[in-house]
Amino acid sequence: MELALFVALLVLVAIAAGLVGSLTGLGGGVIVIPLLVILFGAPIQIAIGTGFVTILATSSATGAAYVRDHLTDLRIGMFLEIATVPGALVGATLTVFLTHANLESALLVALGVVLLAIIPGSLARRHIELPPPLPQDARSRALGLTGEYHDKVLDRDVPYQAARTSPALGVMFGAGVVSGMFGIGGGVFKVLALERFLNLPMKVSTATSNFMIGVTAAAGAGVMVTAGYVNPIVAAPVAIGTAFGAFLGSRVLPTLSNRTVRILFVPIIALLAIEMILRGFGLP
Amino acid sequence: MTAVPSAPGPGATPVERLPEQAYLRMSLVLRVGLGLALAILGVGIVAHILAFPNATSSSTLSSNPILPYLSLTGLASGLAAGSVDAFLTLGLLVLVATPIVRVLSGFYYFRRGGERAMTAITLTVMVMLVVGILVIGPLVR
Repeated sequence: MELALFVALLVLVAIAAGLVGSLTGLGGGVIVIPLLVILFGAPIQIAIGTGFVTILATSSATGAAYVRDHLTDLRIGMFLEIATVPGALVGATLTVFLTHANLESALLVALGVVLLAIIPGSLARRHIELPPPLPQDARSRALGLTGEYHDKVLDRDVPYQAARTSPALGVMFGAGVVSGMFGIGGGVFKVLALERFLNLPMKVSTATSNFMIGVTAAAGAGVMVTAGYVNPIVAAPVAIGTAFGAFLGSRVLPTLSNRTVRILFVPIIALLAIEMILRGFGLP
Repeated sequence: MTAVPSAPGPGATPVERLPEQAYLRMSLVLRVGLGLALAILGVGIVAHILAFPNATSSSTLSSNPILPYLSLTGLASGLAAGSVDAFLTLGLLVLVATPIVRVLSGFYYFRRGGERAMTAITLTVMVMLVVGILVIGPLVR
C-alpha cells in the first residue's frame, strides 16, 4: 500500500477510535491496536506503542474540555495516579521483557476473562442515573475527595464524595499494569474503580478516567518511545485522527445521560474481552 | 429507576476547591501541548511523505526511523541537520510531555493552596514519571 493512502486510512481509523475512546473513558487504544495488527499487519509491539499515542491524544483533547467544565475531578485523579503510574512503569517494563516470550498469551486470556466478569455488574446498574450516597472513608475525608458538577441533562448541580479508597487504589495499580503492558489505557478498570468503588457518577468517572489515562500513558509511552517501540510514521497520523475524534466526543458527552454512557461502555468491554481472549489464543 | 444523588453525607469534609484559574490553566496546558505536538507531527508526516514518495506501508512498518534520535545529542543534531524523522520524534516527545506538564501544574496549585498532602502526592507522581521514563526506558532498550 502506498504511504499516502496508508496514512489517510490511519487518520480515519483514529478518528473513530478517538470518538469512542473519549465517550467511554477507555482512551481509544483498544480500537487502534487490533486494527493496526489485523488491517495493516503492524508488529504487536509497534501497535502497542501506537496505542499509547492514541491514549495521549484522547486524554489531552478531551481533558481540555472536561477540565474546563469541571467534569474531571482533578483532586481524585491526582490522588489515584499515585497507584496507576508505578503500575504503568511495571507493565511497560514487563511488555518489553515478554515480547519474545509466550507468557503474554496467558495474560491476555486472563485479562479477557476478568473483563467479561465485569459485564453482569455493569448491566445490573444500567438503570442507575446517579449512585446512592456512601460514607467517606478516613483517607477520603483527609484529602477532601468530594466535588460537584453541573449535569446538563438533569439541569442541576450534582454533588458527590469518594468512598472505599483502599480497594480503588488496588484496582488502579492493576489498571496501570494493564495500561503499561497492553497500551490500552486501562480505562476499563479506571472507570470501574471510580464508579464502583469510589461511588462517583458515571460522567465524572469517564471524564476523570480520561484525565488519568494521559498521565498513566505518559509513563508507559515514555518507556516505549525510549525503548524504540513507537514508529512516528504510524503514530503521527494516529495522533492527529484521534485528537479530532476525541474533540468531537468531548462535545457529545455532556449532552448524554449517565445511563447512555454506561450502555455504550458495556458492549465495548465485551468487544475488548473477546479481542483479548482471541489474541491470547493467537487468533487475529 | 433514578437513585438519590450521591450528596456528601454526615461527617463529610467541606469541599476543597481549586481556584477556577487552576482549571483554566490546566485546560490551556492541554490545548497548547496537544496543538504544538499535532502541528509538529502534521508537518513532519507530510514532509516525510514528500521526502520518500516511493515508500510503502510495508517498508514503513518494517523499520523505525526514531532510533537514531532517542538521545538528547542525537535529537539535537538531527534537528540541526533538518531531519524530518528527528522532527517527528520531537512531536512525539511533546505529546508525551503534555500530561507531565499538567501534573506539574497541579503541583503548583496544590502547593499554592497550602494542601500539603495533595502537594506530596502530586510531587511523588511527577518524580515517578520522570525517573521511570529517564531510567527504565533506556535500561530495557
